[in-house]
Amino acid sequence: MTPKMLLLPILLPAVLAVVLLLLPRALRLLRDILAVAGAGALLYYAFVFFSVKDLRLAVPWLGMGIDFDLRLYHFSSFILLALAGFLLLITIYTTVRMKDAPRGREFMAYVFLTAAFANGAALANNFVPLLFFWEGLLVTLYGMITIGGRPTSGRTAVKALLISGFCDFCMILGIGLLWSVAGTSTMSDISVEPTGLAAVAFVLMMIGAAGKAGAMPFHTWIPDAAVDAPVTFMAFLPAAFEKLLGIYLLARISLDFFKIRPGSGLSLLLMIVGAVTIVLAVLMALVQKDLKRLLSYHAVSQVGYMILGIGTAIPVGIAGGIFHMINHAMYKSGLFLSAGSVEHRTGTTELKKLGGLGREMPLTALGFTVCALAISGVWPLNGFVSKEMVFHGAVETGSTIFAIAAWVGAIFTFASFLKAGHSVFFGERSKEVPAVKESQPAIVLPILVLAGLCVLFGVYNKLPLTLFIQPILQGRGEAGAHVDFTAHALAVFNPVALISIGCLVLAFLLHAYGFRKGGRKAYLASEPIHNLPGMHQAYDLAEKRVFDPYDQGLKVIRGLSLGLFKGIDRPIDFFFEKIVTFTGAKFTGILKKAHNGHYANYLAWCLAGLIILAGLIGLLAQ
Amino acid sequence: MILQTALLIGLVIFSVLAIVLRDLLKSAISLAVASLLLGIIFFRMKAPYAGAFEISVVAGLITVLFVLTIALTKSGDDVRESKIANWVFPLVFVAFIVIDALVMKSLLGKVPALPAAAEAGGFGDVLWRGRTLDLIGQIAAILAGVFAVLALFRKKDKHE
Amino acid sequence: MIILFIVLPLIVAGLLPIIGKVSRRVLPDALANATLLALLVYAVVAGRGLIADGPVLQQLSWLGEAVNVRLALDGFSLFMLMAVSLVGLAAGLFSIDYMEHYGAKANFYALYLVMIAGMNGLILATDLFSVYVFLEVAAIASYALVAFGLGRDELEAAFKYLMLSVVASAFLVVGIAVIFGLTGQLDFAAVAAGLKEVNAGPVLGLVTAFFLLGFGLKAALVPFHAWLPDAHPSAPAPISAVLSGLLIKVSGVYALTRIFINVFGLTPALSAVLMALGAVSIVVAALLALGQKDMKRMLAYSSISQVGYIVLGLGIGTPLGIAGGLFHLFNHALAKGLLFLTSGSVQQATGTRDMDEMGGLAKRMPVTAVTNLIGSLSIAGVPPLNGFWSKLIIIVALVQAGHPVYAVIAVLASVLTLWYYLLMQRKAFFGKLNEKWAAVKEAPFWMTAAVVLLALLCVGVGILFSSTVTTWIQPAADILADGVHAATGSWGF
Repeated sequence: MTPKMLLLPILLPAVLAVVLLLLPRALRLLRDILAVAGAGALLYYAFVFFSVKDLRLAVPWLGMGIDFDLRLYHFSSFILLALAGFLLLITIYTTVRMKDAPRGREFMAYVFLTAAFANGAALANNFVPLLFFWEGLLVTLYGMITIGGRPTSGRTAVKALLISGFCDFCMILGIGLLWSVAGTSTMSDISVEPTGLAAVAFVLMMIGAAGKAGAMPFHTWIPDAAVDAPVTFMAFLPAAFEKLLGIYLLARISLDFFKIRPGSGLSLLLMIVGAVTIVLAVLMALVQKDLKRLLSYHAVSQVGYMILGIGTAIPVGIAGGIFHMINHAMYKSGLFLSAGSVEHRTGTTELKKLGGLGREMPLTALGFTVCALAISGVWPLNGFVSKEMVFHGAVETGSTIFAIAAWVGAIFTFASFLKAGHSVFFGERSKEVPAVKESQPAIVLPILVLAGLCVLFGVYNKLPLTLFIQPILQGRGEAGAHVDFTAHALAVFNPVALISIGCLVLAFLLHAYGFRKGGRKAYLASEPIHNLPGMHQAYDLAEKRVFDPYDQGLKVIRGLSLGLFKGIDRPIDFFFEKIVTFTGAKFTGILKKAHNGHYANYLAWCLAGLIILAGLIGLLAQ
Repeated sequence: MILQTALLIGLVIFSVLAIVLRDLLKSAISLAVASLLLGIIFFRMKAPYAGAFEISVVAGLITVLFVLTIALTKSGDDVRESKIANWVFPLVFVAFIVIDALVMKSLLGKVPALPAAAEAGGFGDVLWRGRTLDLIGQIAAILAGVFAVLALFRKKDKHE
Repeated sequence: MIILFIVLPLIVAGLLPIIGKVSRRVLPDALANATLLALLVYAVVAGRGLIADGPVLQQLSWLGEAVNVRLALDGFSLFMLMAVSLVGLAAGLFSIDYMEHYGAKANFYALYLVMIAGMNGLILATDLFSVYVFLEVAAIASYALVAFGLGRDELEAAFKYLMLSVVASAFLVVGIAVIFGLTGQLDFAAVAAGLKEVNAGPVLGLVTAFFLLGFGLKAALVPFHAWLPDAHPSAPAPISAVLSGLLIKVSGVYALTRIFINVFGLTPALSAVLMALGAVSIVVAALLALGQKDMKRMLAYSSISQVGYIVLGLGIGTPLGIAGGLFHLFNHALAKGLLFLTSGSVQQATGTRDMDEMGGLAKRMPVTAVTNLIGSLSIAGVPPLNGFWSKLIIIVALVQAGHPVYAVIAVLASVLTLWYYLLMQRKAFFGKLNEKWAAVKEAPFWMTAAVVLLALLCVGVGILFSSTVTTWIQPAADILADGVHAATGSWGF
């Protein structure tokens, strides 16, 4: 295992991306085999790296302390493993799902290019290479959304690009500040007190990381992309890769680069962002009428738990946040993939048109159900474990309000998934969709694997917690104390867990009430909440994108540009359009009149010119 | 000397006529006469090959081309000209003459006379030994003239 | 065998009318373009080797006897030969399709090659009278080529061109005669040496003025420019391209530079006059171009304006200024050649040169439109195209040499340039497609190939500008800079 091997997870997918792009359509089989084999090889090496755990490759690069520095350690090897795992599943899924898509070949290439950049970002141990890989992701993000091929795909892609670009810009500023505060750009050497300028750097970098993960208010492109981009993309980037990278970086920021203490202002800031994200996004999710949009709002909402967990700055909370990250990636990927499976067969993801698919697509339904229960935090699945840890962490900080926000989130999460699952797979068979079959194995397999992992990580939570999470937090908390987060794990008889379970029961009742009220139509189950006084208006405004900072920002910019146009551009334009053109035209007119095509006239000029020149030369020479 | 002066005056007059005359054909003929006069002046000033060159190239080739151009152009009388334009040339010409006279007067004694040795050697000898490259140039000029005549006299109807 | 540059095209030209009797199109096409290609290859491949050890002076012998054919090849002349062959080849390729409907193709190529031979001869000549002779060769061929279409406008333009051109020739001959009278020499080096000995300030001043008129008229500097906007648009497009791209530069700028810088020496007074002429040309012609409706006329005025830039750059007399001027000469030859060729494509497709009648042609003739855009932006000096770098060098050189006013004029005129070129783009290629041109098709293969070649060169030279400058421009500029250095202060008038 030489340090040079660290280039493999970056170069292999990059090369594969090029090869896949170049392979002609006729060789689709070869392309699929290559892609799956490549992803498999990456997963294998990710396991190898995970067992090695400690490797560093530092090559002098641009000078001034900017080295091409890759570092493999327990955290990055864990992220690498997770990325490789998702890559393999997504690749298998893509081989079938994007088979006939017009730009399927391109999509596959983007997937691998994204993997290359993501691996690079996870391994980078210097800010400059980190930014290089991080920005590279923007390109593939943009490209993949446009593949959606809907009329609005281009606009959504631009929106995603601008929002992510803004976050990245903040991060660059933050990194620049941190660099000047810490005096080095080597990430493993940085550990500063978050005061003064460093605090600003922290906030800026946090915006970058949380924005990548899709926290509010940088989330608004995700629901749009859910509709406009291929569903595979949703399972791949917003559900899995971006969460992994964003939360990874957020954890690095708040654990390594800055010493965030429980109860400090910055900790509080993170927790507020987390709590607000949880509640608002889940409320939006609740009333969605489209499965993909619903899932996308949950993808935002769940980020709140992770940020809340990390923001507590208490070991159990942080561990919960990171554990929630990997859990979320699994079940949310699984959910998007099942939504994709449904869309693959029925051609729609609108809740109203679907219903009772459970009998025809039993495996998809099974996968969906497990993942949905996991995301809702039902015992004994992984979501329960990680959410409990976050709740405990939140309660331990003493600011119970955050715990309450998290619980509120849990209620609506479950309620909305009851609605979604009920609408799609259970209840009466809808008549709008003709009879369908279960999807192909290549589609079902990734879903079931992810569902299986949800069960595994829940029931045997000791495995991921001791293997992945604890090493990351080793040495934090009380000095020398052994870190063990498995204590709470699946225990139900403590106040926190009981409240959680109470929340779930409440959610069930809510759903049952709504179902009854909505004339036994599952997709209307959220209407009572939708129609609550005050809520309805808020929802309407939200639907009109009043709360979307991107759209509002666009409006401001448009107003600004109109003002500039009227106030500055027009006068300048007048100057050029009228005054300059006029004088120009006058001169041109005079000169044109002089060119009357008369030979004698032209000859006269020549002679006059000669006389002037001779005079001039005589004058100058004296 | 009187003949010399007459020739020079004739040269100037015909040159001016070539420019001022409205009728292109007359103007062309004036130019040819002017060239001829210039050639005679060269001969008289014991520069035989300068004269030959003048008459062959200028009076010959260029005028041929010139007359052809006129012949090919249909009557161009419909060109309207402003009155001022008619005055521009004479005015500048007079100014030119005045300044020329002033300048030339001051130059007159200052330009050293050519060394007499330049006259030595026969016409052909000088041309072949001294100015071979010009010979190539002359051949090229004649080629150009021939091709020009060929091109301008070609039958156009085939392609129209 | 440097003489090949003159003799080869002449021989081929002599053969062409005979060959034309056998094969009306294919052989003349192939032979003429093969000749131009051979010259280009010779200039690019062998030429640099020849001058590796400094300028070469070749004395020819005929049947064992030394004859007076002396040709000089240095960095400057090689650079010009390369430019002539390159643009000449592009225009030649373009003619394959374009001259089809004019008829008498063999004759056309014969004249064309004579013109090339004349330019090459002028570039290689080492004495004043040879310069005059070859100037006339190229000029006579160009008169016939301008009138080649035989239409009324063509003939009138050719006539006017001829009449003003002979005025220039006359003054040149007078100037040469006076020089000969002063020094008894015609050879460049001997004249330069002879001028140092005689003290004839006022006479030399007058000769300078004569030469300025003569070469300035050939180069179409304001106020000697009036023939050009008539002559260049009337000629067939490939000839317009060569006249604007090459002829005015070879018989005007090259000869002027060679004689003033290497023979007379660039004195401050002359430098000031040249720069003033250049600046006036830039501004006046740019303003005139702005008011044109005829596409080729606009291009013709633009040529005058750009020659102004070249003379302005050369007139500074600093090494940087000379390099900038030469580089702009080359770039303008490429870009203006390209623009005239595309205007020919448009004229052939639509039958008009009036830009008001065009509109939206980009939809029907995408290649022509894109290449035209490249040429326009290049001349207007938009980075990263070649024209940007040469203008930048000229402007930097102006500032360095302490002529901020000229620098400002150069910048402002470049805005004007961009303005009228954008006007051309908007009127001709963008906007709504004029319904009249719904059936218009892209130009035929060779025409497209020629413009694409030039467009690629514009972009390529722009991107690789530093290597172009070091390989081609710098040797040429060095020769001239040496001339300035050697002659400065040696004589004063």
